[in-house]
Amino acid sequence: MIISGPSTRRAFIAAIVLGCTVSAAAPPRRIVSLIPAVTEMIFAMGEGGRVVGVSNYDRYPPAVESIPRVGGLLDPNVERVLSLKPDLVIVYNTQQELKERLGRASIPYYSYQHRGLPDITATIRAVGRQLGASDAANRLAEQMERDLDAVRRAVAGRPRPRTLLVFGRDPGSLRNIDASGGYGFLHDMLEVAGGDDVFADVKKESVQVTTEMVLARRPDVIIELHYGDAARAADFQKQLSVWDALPAVPAVRNHRVHALVGDEFVVPGPRVVDATRRLARTLHPEAGR
Amino acid sequence: MPGDIRGRMTVTLGGFGALLLAVMLVAPLAGTARISLARAFDRSQPFADNVDAQIFFIARLPRVVGAALVGGSLAAAGVVFQALLRNPLAAPETLGVSIGASVGAVLAITLLPDVAIGGISAVPLASFAGSLGALAVVYALATARSRGMSSTVLLLGGVVLTSFLGAMITLIQYLADFSQTFRTVRWLMGSLDVGSYSAIGAALVPLAIAAIGYATLPRALDLLSLGPEAAAARGVDVARAERVALVSASLSTGAAVSLSGPIGFVGIVVPHLVRLIVGAEHRLVLPASALFGAAFLIACDLVARTAFAPLELPVGIVTAMIGGPFFLWLLLRRPR
Amino acid sequence: MLQVDSVRFAYARDAVLDDVSFAVQRGTIVGVLGPNGSGKTTLLRLLAGIITPSSGRVTLDEVAVAAFGRRELARRIAVVPQETYATFDFTVLEIVLMGRYPHLGPFELEGASDLAIARDALAATGTVALADRLFSTLSGGEKQRVVIAAALAQSSDVLLLDEPTASLDVGYQLEIASVLGRLNRDRGTTMVVSSHDLNFAASICKELVLIRRGRVIARGPTADVLTREHVRALYDVDADIAFNARAGHVTVIPVAHAG
Repeated sequence: MIISGPSTRRAFIAAIVLGCTVSAAAPPRRIVSLIPAVTEMIFAMGEGGRVVGVSNYDRYPPAVESIPRVGGLLDPNVERVLSLKPDLVIVYNTQQELKERLGRASIPYYSYQHRGLPDITATIRAVGRQLGASDAANRLAEQMERDLDAVRRAVAGRPRPRTLLVFGRDPGSLRNIDASGGYGFLHDMLEVAGGDDVFADVKKESVQVTTEMVLARRPDVIIELHYGDAARAADFQKQLSVWDALPAVPAVRNHRVHALVGDEFVVPGPRVVDATRRLARTLHPEAGR
Repeated sequence: MPGDIRGRMTVTLGGFGALLLAVMLVAPLAGTARISLARAFDRSQPFADNVDAQIFFIARLPRVVGAALVGGSLAAAGVVFQALLRNPLAAPETLGVSIGASVGAVLAITLLPDVAIGGISAVPLASFAGSLGALAVVYALATARSRGMSSTVLLLGGVVLTSFLGAMITLIQYLADFSQTFRTVRWLMGSLDVGSYSAIGAALVPLAIAAIGYATLPRALDLLSLGPEAAAARGVDVARAERVALVSASLSTGAAVSLSGPIGFVGIVVPHLVRLIVGAEHRLVLPASALFGAAFLIACDLVARTAFAPLELPVGIVTAMIGGPFFLWLLLRRPR
Repeated sequence: MLQVDSVRFAYARDAVLDDVSFAVQRGTIVGVLGPNGSGKTTLLRLLAGIITPSSGRVTLDEVAVAAFGRRELARRIAVVPQETYATFDFTVLEIVLMGRYPHLGPFELEGASDLAIARDALAATGTVALADRLFSTLSGGEKQRVVIAAALAQSSDVLLLDEPTASLDVGYQLEIASVLGRLNRDRGTTMVVSSHDLNFAASICKELVLIRRGRVIARGPTADVLTREHVRALYDVDADIAFNARAGHVTVIPVAHAG
């Protein structure tokens, strides 16, 4: 599913697919990024020094702790952004008002759209071009693509378990379960890691699931994704006992209910490779890598 | 037949009771997954392996029981509030008890997301506490005047509470992070996917207390609806009846909303529908509304969970789509 | 039977009623007359035990009204309020049956005798034909008769009526007067009727109590009390008082303002 071909074609497709950008004359030196995934991409390319503003939700890499915060998707603080005198702002495609204001202030912006797994490397290349760091960006993207291919090969030929990928539910109970549907980067990661999404036929990024649906779909593996640090991993593990209420589900019967904790599951950036590897290890423990 | 209250009570309660029983028997059979009743009750297969049994007993039955309790409580509370406020447009939401429950839930979702007490998540417990808080405010307002409850004061108090607490909910949502806000929005849509019997069991406590209160009220409600002085002149202990009515209806609303989140229209539509069928006497209307409210909500939930399978509509949408037009029709047909 | 002794009633410092005393003999119809705001309604509420006097006593058969239990008092005294609004669609029979409340236990249902008393009350007020009609669809006069029937169903010794003809036109006024007169004759029901309509009061009341600004300015048999001076004192109106043979009672014809 990864777009293959010369990097220029990819960049061209990326530019069309990901929306237009207002390009800068010289490479930008003061970048404000409202998207944690793109912030990580910029740092991974080695250009973190140029970032002068990040969103309220940025947590990685540790260097972002000392960078000023400017809001997020729903509440970007325009004043703060402007006060940092940026020459490139990374915004969400849906932040129309912010884009208008930046346009009026003649500040270039890059409009990010969140989609599936292949779009992550496409975005890396597009952002790399914006920054004038195409070489680093391409290297990063290619490394990621190679790593993901390696995961694919490692699990190829193995039976693909029907997997329920849960990203939210009421604590202590099985109410209001939010699970992955057949669309989006988590679904794509699951596919690469050698699992079949149990709700692949529902073409939505997230599906609200009831216990009846879980029983009816009979997943072989249930994986709960949590963000937060590893310190909380033990808590989340303990909470998995709520699934014991449904012993007829194969995943429960065969003790294949797991909790994976880490930011790499919510940020569609360079760390998706780590996330995909962790998913693959959970689904296919015997595959080694 | 008119005047034969015993006969009418038997027929009415028998009829609505039979309806509820029928609905409760049919509802767990229907759903997005097809199950076989025979397999579900097949004892030879261990429960842990029996998918049909698990769908029936774990996924569907608590939902049907929950719907019955919530529907019955909201409908009964609606009847009592309408009589207490002498206003046929009153509903369980009118005095602010329902939004008090919502504030409790939103606070718990935001501040205590992982807390559970005795197997029950903090959310329904905090929600019920919120409803009690709202009741305390309303009660204090209502009994501040020594000469009985003024329905005007109650209604105004409800309006103030609703707008104030509504603003608080918005504020909490604004300050919370994205996933917490998302969960509160979900909760506020209402859901009968109760999950376990422990939350239902906890809700039974305030509901039982409310039921005891309800048992003493019907005749007093008839008289109260003609005016508190007229009722007093006929020997009704107006102060006691008003307090019992306020507390019982608020407890039942609070318990229902804590269990399922706010579900609208049941408390206002069911009493009117029932009155169209059985007349105005509360000895018929109150129990019949509880029974019919239970059946009504079970039926709405059935539609909610099967109409757009595999996706489920929040049941409040179904009750609104039925309740709204019905209500409009009601308003337009009244001669006065 | 009903005795009011030096009753004073005040909300804050302003007395609505002050030093009001009179007696109601068993089986009579007493009229309480006065302009709007004179305190008539408050007086009736005191007689019914709905409110208690700031000082003085209201007694029924020598026992203070306040000492009666709620239900017991309702069995002795019934009230016909000025207006009755039914929030819900009760039928006439249902409204009248509510009058049986003080006679029934907390979970007791109305029985055959209660039904008979209710039908009796409907007959006495000429409303049998309306039994299954919705109360809210009745005319003003019909409603008042039904409310009187509901009060009758209480089987009380005393009937208190607050402005029973206030919102009714002349035809209905005569109807109500006739019903009340008949009830008093046939059943011996003691009645206290408040009104600002002098002729109506004159037509049925044996005795009158005239109240102005919370004080009794005259009381006694109707013919003695209803005089030109008293009418002027009560209403600032100059009126002709004459006994009308056809009507069978004293009539009052207002002639001019006498400010």
